[in-house]
Amino acid sequence: MSTPADRAQYGQNLLEIRGLRVAYGNSRRDAVEVVHGIDLSIRPGERLAVVGESGSGKSVTARAVLGLDTDASLSGSIRLGEHELTTLSRRRMRDIRGARIGLIFQDPLAALNPVMRVGWQIMQPLIIRGTGKREARQRGIDLLGRLGVRDAGARFDDYPHQFSGGMRQRVVIAIAVIAQPELLIADEPTTALDVRVQAQVLQLLDELARERGMAVMLITHDLGIVAGFAERVVVMRNGRVVEHGDVDSIYAAPKAEYTRGLLGAVPRLDSDPDRELATVAPDWDAS
Amino acid sequence: MTVPPLSAAERLVGTGLGGTVPAPDQADPRRPNGSHARSRRRTRGPAAEQLAVAAAIVIVLVAVVGPWLAPHDPYTVDLTQQLRSPSTGHWFGTDVNGRDILSRVLAGARATLSATAIVLAVATIVGTLIGTVAALSRTIIDEILMRICDIGLALPSIVLALGLAAALGPSLRSAVIAMAATWWPGYARLVRAVVRETRDAEFVDSARMLGVGRMRLVLRHVLPNSLSILYVQVSLDVAAVMLTISGLSFIGVGAQVPSAEWGAMISAAAGNVGNGWWAVLFPGLAIAFTAITFNLVGDWLRVRTDPTLRERA
Repeated sequence: MSTPADRAQYGQNLLEIRGLRVAYGNSRRDAVEVVHGIDLSIRPGERLAVVGESGSGKSVTARAVLGLDTDASLSGSIRLGEHELTTLSRRRMRDIRGARIGLIFQDPLAALNPVMRVGWQIMQPLIIRGTGKREARQRGIDLLGRLGVRDAGARFDDYPHQFSGGMRQRVVIAIAVIAQPELLIADEPTTALDVRVQAQVLQLLDELARERGMAVMLITHDLGIVAGFAERVVVMRNGRVVEHGDVDSIYAAPKAEYTRGLLGAVPRLDSDPDRELATVAPDWDAS
Repeated sequence: MTVPPLSAAERLVGTGLGGTVPAPDQADPRRPNGSHARSRRRTRGPAAEQLAVAAAIVIVLVAVVGPWLAPHDPYTVDLTQQLRSPSTGHWFGTDVNGRDILSRVLAGARATLSATAIVLAVATIVGTLIGTVAALSRTIIDEILMRICDIGLALPSIVLALGLAAALGPSLRSAVIAMAATWWPGYARLVRAVVRETRDAEFVDSARMLGVGRMRLVLRHVLPNSLSILYVQVSLDVAAVMLTISGLSFIGVGAQVPSAEWGAMISAAAGNVGNGWWAVLFPGLAIAFTAITFNLVGDWLRVRTDPTLRERA
């Protein structure tokens, strides 16, 4: 699935996934494979969108990168710089999590510990790595303010339920990026938010990634937010990469039939109002 | 079906995401400024809970200094004063041996409360430990620990207390040991069930993905979000444990005559309810008052440990 241009980049990629297969299930016999050998790479500072319908394996891929599901069995290769993540020990993996790869979950309320103050949670990635309390607090407040939370110093000691949805997602972003990871994986970061807040959060992610030279892997089913954000797109379906290329060429001339279907299913202001929206048949190219 | 190329802005318009992006510092209209929530956070619980906490402090103080507060010696038998009804000399009356009941209630607070506290403390600590380990291990260890709990649950505390009384001699101490040994499995079950739910919560995964280690994950993320139900259970069990200890005293394997223990006092006086109701009533009131107080304290604790409830209180 890799293009020649892609192969030329080999070696300077930040994250390099080759032939990744993910299966769930305890025994080998009843294991169900949900990702069937995908290739994917992200260069430092690059914005990559992974799109696909639910069940396409896009979230599973992201979770596999960080080893989130302990009951998943992985094969293939996930390389982050010099580390091979699929075989990394639990201890070494802990040093990667949060510090080199940050993760943003879909539901900002569920991702926050309800009985701990948000400041405590923002500081946590620094505290567990030995940063002093005073410095961690200052950095946390600065970051929260940078993310557009007004009166950040005072809100720092509030609890998650005292924040609105959009503000909570800012807190979640702050937690994910405070330890300065090189790669941020955002798993449907805007799905739980209303449209206006979605735009704000995406804009913030965009600015933050630019400021810090941080690569972002945006996982979404919403093609509308991909275009303005990502540089490259990977389209997934049924655990396989269907199409893969830079955002403009995919939007202008989608090669895979499935991608054309997806794009055709999005309503657009400039199209003929009588045009029927395309649908994507359930097993279009299922194998 | 062809898709004509669009500029990025047009694509956004097409999905309703276009237009000017509002400034990120748009405040939530429900929260005009941050001070609102902070002032609410300072508000205390309702008066009943504050009273209960005050009463609990008084009860504990009585348990500590009770023997010195007693107007009479709680153990002096005076057969000329048998079963006197409450009067200015003996506020709570006297029992069948002429002992002052007020003095015995005050002196008995220590025995009853410390026995109850020890049973509940041991059961809470052991139950939390076993329940948490079982819930987090997800392996054969879970099975083994739960079968041990089943054995504990199947064994009535009275039977175990009788056995221990035979081995160690009947005393309040052997009753406490028997109670603690049979009380923790229920807590282990409870904690295991709640921790199993909490361990799969997204915020636990989220913390794990930040590189938080196992110990910190359990102590700062899983347990603080699991134990509030245990506080309620423990506070409800204060009454149950006190009554069970008095039951053990009644059949002769708990506190021994003539020690002033509330349950033992009720048991000893039960035969004379007809002509000496006060000897049963006042120790009973002491048990009821203590039980209600700690129930309310448990409620207060639950609210204090849950920030969401705290604000509503």
